[in-house]
Amino acid sequence: MDEHPAATRPRPRRRGAGKLVAAGLFLTTVVWQHVEATRLGYQVERSRKQISTLRCAQGALQTELEDLLSPASLSAQARGRLGMVLGSPASLRRLDDDTMTAQARPGLLRRLLSRTRRAWQENKTAGLSTPRAAA
Amino acid sequence: METHVRLAVVAGLCLTPLAPLSLRLAQLQVMQHQRIDKEVINEVVHTTAVAADRADIVDRRGRLLARSVPFLSCFVERPLPPDTAALAACLGRILAMPPAEVLRRLQGRERRLYVKEDVSAQQAAALAETKLKDKKLISYGVGVELRHRRFYPRGDLALNVLGKVGTEQNGLSGVELTFDSRLRGRARRLRYLRDGLGRIIYRDAEVRPETTQPLALSLDRDSQFHAEEVLHEAAAQFHAKGGMIVVLDPATSEVLAMAALPSDRLKNPIIQDPYEPGSTFKLIAAAAALEESLVDENQTFFCENGSYDIAPGVRIHDHEPAGLLTLQGILERSSNIGISKVVERVGARRFYSYSRAFGFDIKTGIDLPGETAGEMKPFAHLTRVVLAASSYGYGIGASALQVANAYSAIANGGTLYEPSILAVSRRPQPVRRVVSDATARTLTRMLESVVERGTGMSGRIPGYRVAGKTGTARKLDPRTGAYSTSSYMASFVGFLPASRPQWAILVVIDEPKGQYYGAQVAAPVFAKLGRRLLAMAGVPPDQPTVLAGRP
Repeated sequence: MDEHPAATRPRPRRRGAGKLVAAGLFLTTVVWQHVEATRLGYQVERSRKQISTLRCAQGALQTELEDLLSPASLSAQARGRLGMVLGSPASLRRLDDDTMTAQARPGLLRRLLSRTRRAWQENKTAGLSTPRAAA
Repeated sequence: METHVRLAVVAGLCLTPLAPLSLRLAQLQVMQHQRIDKEVINEVVHTTAVAADRADIVDRRGRLLARSVPFLSCFVERPLPPDTAALAACLGRILAMPPAEVLRRLQGRERRLYVKEDVSAQQAAALAETKLKDKKLISYGVGVELRHRRFYPRGDLALNVLGKVGTEQNGLSGVELTFDSRLRGRARRLRYLRDGLGRIIYRDAEVRPETTQPLALSLDRDSQFHAEEVLHEAAAQFHAKGGMIVVLDPATSEVLAMAALPSDRLKNPIIQDPYEPGSTFKLIAAAAALEESLVDENQTFFCENGSYDIAPGVRIHDHEPAGLLTLQGILERSSNIGISKVVERVGARRFYSYSRAFGFDIKTGIDLPGETAGEMKPFAHLTRVVLAASSYGYGIGASALQVANAYSAIANGGTLYEPSILAVSRRPQPVRRVVSDATARTLTRMLESVVERGTGMSGRIPGYRVAGKTGTARKLDPRTGAYSTSSYMASFVGFLPASRPQWAILVVIDEPKGQYYGAQVAAPVFAKLGRRLLAMAGVPPDQPTVLAGRP
């Protein structure tokens, strides 16, 4: 049985509308992109100005900080406010080996160890007697 | 006629007039696109050069010596609006300035007149707002610009060395001039377009300018500070006209400190001004005599009891009479007569040759502008009298850096290095060996005895071995052309600790009042600075300290 002619005929109106919609979307995208680029261009410029302003403020603060950290400023503060004096080589001492041996104070760990050992030995000798002592 | 045919005909009739337009459009958009695009870009798009921030200058430990700091500046461009008074009143209100002051600043002849520096963010915003509201009055050539100024912490540290930059951030003197292209970095070009209101729309992506690496100098900020402080104190104490201090690292000849008075950003007398070094120059004759084995250490010279007629009408004096002296004694007593007799043995040719070998009469090659080579008569012109005078530092000109570097060569065992203002990252290259290690050791011992027993006793530092030599030179009076009897250059140069030299120091005090001998004026300054440097570096004394209470 033959089909009805209307069923096989192409539908040009629908195809044309689709193309039109696609073209419209493309155009809108292009326009939107252009407008957005311009808007972002303004924003970039605003941000740049803001960065410049902040950099100026940062520069001023850095200037102040470096001024305070300069040797002249630190020296004035140390001498004037804290009453510090300049170091002198007289405060540096080279000790010969004998002096070092005579003057050297054992470190904390060594002192603790020797104290513990002494206490342990005292406890040990309090309760026990060496074979020689016993003899 | 069928419907679709009729529609096609109507459409054809309607679209026919658009055909030429389409063709023209195609011609403009396709055929001439490039040319038209270029024209539009030329008219609307502007290009501006954004300079890279000028690089920091730091000391050998990376501590800041100079930095470019940005700031906002308000400007007005010519031609000025007719009602300048109203403009001044408006700007004065926004920038918190008296209108009269604004008017005064608008009197300049430049195209761009700067009204105020250091405009705050609020003031910049207020200015922009006013420009939008009151275009008639203020929009005409008024703006805020980002500029840079060179900042030096506390202003005066090492200013003779660092130099100066101009308003365009270009180096004018000192390190700023020598390394100008290195410090400037590369400028970057940015493209932008302006809308109808003159607002900027960016075309290029914002990229931070290439960061320029800091320039590391050999200076040590603390040593520099102490050198300047002791120099100021000495100048005030002796009411001196000026002074110089150079501190070198003897192992490399890196400049650790360079202080000069009067302070001037455009001038560095330490390398630019030759002076007569006086008795500090006796080192050269002594070195030549020892190196060439012309004088034995135990050999004595008769010093004529303080007065010696070297030629008819030419008499040499010593500051104190002496009889027989060894070379060590001559240096200890700083005898002019004694060193004159030593240099006679050395001879003019050898003396000249050794002077050149130690770097005199030749530029040191330091990277600072305007260096002097000094002045010295060629050996052919060194007559007996001139040779004698030269041996104790008269009739020759040397820069303070040359003198310090010569002593630095003795301190490091006899090798002369090229002084450097940049931190040496590679192994320093020696210029030449000037004396053998043995001669350098002998000279060091002699210079130590100068400080222990001789004229340089006020340069002593208890507990440390110090080597040095005093110098006192009369200045030439420019009016008479003769040596003055009232103006002197007092100097002391040496190194410490003599056992392992870490610093070679030269102190020169120009025209001290009252006392004028190098031993009285310059040697105490050397000792003062030396004590500070030793304490700062924590260098232990050469001799073990005997502690009180030890059995």
